[in-house]
Amino acid sequence: MKEIVKIIIGLTISCLFAGVVLGGVYVITAKAKKHNQYLDVQQTMTKLLGYDKVVPPDLRFNHIHRYIIENGDCTCLGYMLPVKREGDEGCALLVIDLQGRLAGRYKIDIQPEKALNEQDRKQALEKALDGEIVTYADTAVIATLGGRRTAYLLAGKFPGFKGFIHVMPALDSGFRILGLEILEHSEDPGLGGEIEQVYFKNQFKGRDLDHLKYLKVIKQPLSKEYKIYLEAKKPEEIYSNADLAEIEKKYQNSDIHALTGATISSRAVTRGIKNIVKKFIYRIRILDRVISENKIPATF
Amino acid sequence: MSSSSRTNRELFINGILNENPIFRLALSMCPAVGISTTVMNGILLGIAVLFVQVFSSCTISLIRNHIHPRIRIPTYTLTIATWVTVIDLVLAAFFPTAYKSLGIFVRLIVVFCFITCRLDVFAARNRLFPSCIDALGMGCGFLLGMVVVGGVRELLGMGTLLGYNILGFRPMFFFALPAAGFFTIGFMTAAFNHMETVYNRKKSTSRGSAASGAGL
Repeated sequence: MKEIVKIIIGLTISCLFAGVVLGGVYVITAKAKKHNQYLDVQQTMTKLLGYDKVVPPDLRFNHIHRYIIENGDCTCLGYMLPVKREGDEGCALLVIDLQGRLAGRYKIDIQPEKALNEQDRKQALEKALDGEIVTYADTAVIATLGGRRTAYLLAGKFPGFKGFIHVMPALDSGFRILGLEILEHSEDPGLGGEIEQVYFKNQFKGRDLDHLKYLKVIKQPLSKEYKIYLEAKKPEEIYSNADLAEIEKKYQNSDIHALTGATISSRAVTRGIKNIVKKFIYRIRILDRVISENKIPATF
Repeated sequence: MSSSSRTNRELFINGILNENPIFRLALSMCPAVGISTTVMNGILLGIAVLFVQVFSSCTISLIRNHIHPRIRIPTYTLTIATWVTVIDLVLAAFFPTAYKSLGIFVRLIVVFCFITCRLDVFAARNRLFPSCIDALGMGCGFLLGMVVVGGVRELLGMGTLLGYNILGFRPMFFFALPAAGFFTIGFMTAAFNHMETVYNRKKSTSRGSAASGAGL
């Protein structure tokens, strides 16, 4: 009996001590960690837009958070977007029903920067809505340069060969793919893991919606000149303008070349990108129409 | 296993050669097999393990007189888990570039049984300084093992070393896949054992006495 008490006390003290240590370290590091993650995402986004080191000061990211709202028997989509208010910026939630009509408009009391935090965002949403079931779906980013839209950054995940592949495709203002970043994956190194390679990711560059619809994966090796072109950081420095135009013309309609030994991963990425981009374009068109019809003072 | 009988140098070498965690003790094989696909992975995991091993060993050695023998394993696990989390948080906050490559490995370490083994076998019975040396030796031994296994697998599987293209082709791609880790480690262990037998035989013939350097 005495021994068990000793054991209990010993274990409790060690757990308490460990808890205090962990808590202390967390308090010290939490802010810096969050800041690092934020910087990391920002860096990925600016890199995708083609700004390597110098970022123009009037580049701005407008985050649009998409929610699925279930209200009794109807399911709607909710878009939370930054809007202009008198001298300040806030957020608004646009509820759009499945026919694409505006079903509700709520003022959300939160700064756009603060809304990046999922928890803060959820609290503010719950305050504005009452009783509806709200599920977070995804976040897309509209990049503006001095008020004009320059690019869309999407986020999504889809199943690969082993686990989920998280990607961030970027579209330009004409819905043409600007670039693609693989954020996270668990494919086999050397096989499916090669989806990280520049020559694979760059094959998606320049595809527009019409082309994406019919994009296939073919099992043919990349030709040497195409691979050099894809891997070049600045192709305009290697090729003369005429050569560049010729190569682009030759390959602009080619399908995605599968990675050697990783056809399934290549197909998964192609299908995933197609889905993400197609759905996003469909949604953003509806959202844009709603915004312009109802004269919503969005920041983008 | 008292520390007074061995010098610090012997303690350190012991972790690398006689009791190498991968090749001699054959502990922590699962993460070792899973991660050691490239040299870089090996180095990163090795460094992470080295840190956790040293910190945990020192902690346990300091509080060894207050641990009730019946709850020693939970205490070790708690210590390792605490250090792993602390290192994870500190790296994430103050060394973001290192965290990007080390992060996933650090979180794996809680399940490394050879760290627990060293805490129980050595740190819980020895003073701070020898425990620290032992932990350093063990960590370096693990690091060395991971680098060697990773090197073999990367060279044979991908034809590269540290990402640099060495061979220009992939001799046996199968080596980059998880199953090959078992083969590599198996052959390495055999080689290690063979080296030891040869070494001991030489020693016994030159000195005329046997069994002076074997095992423990």
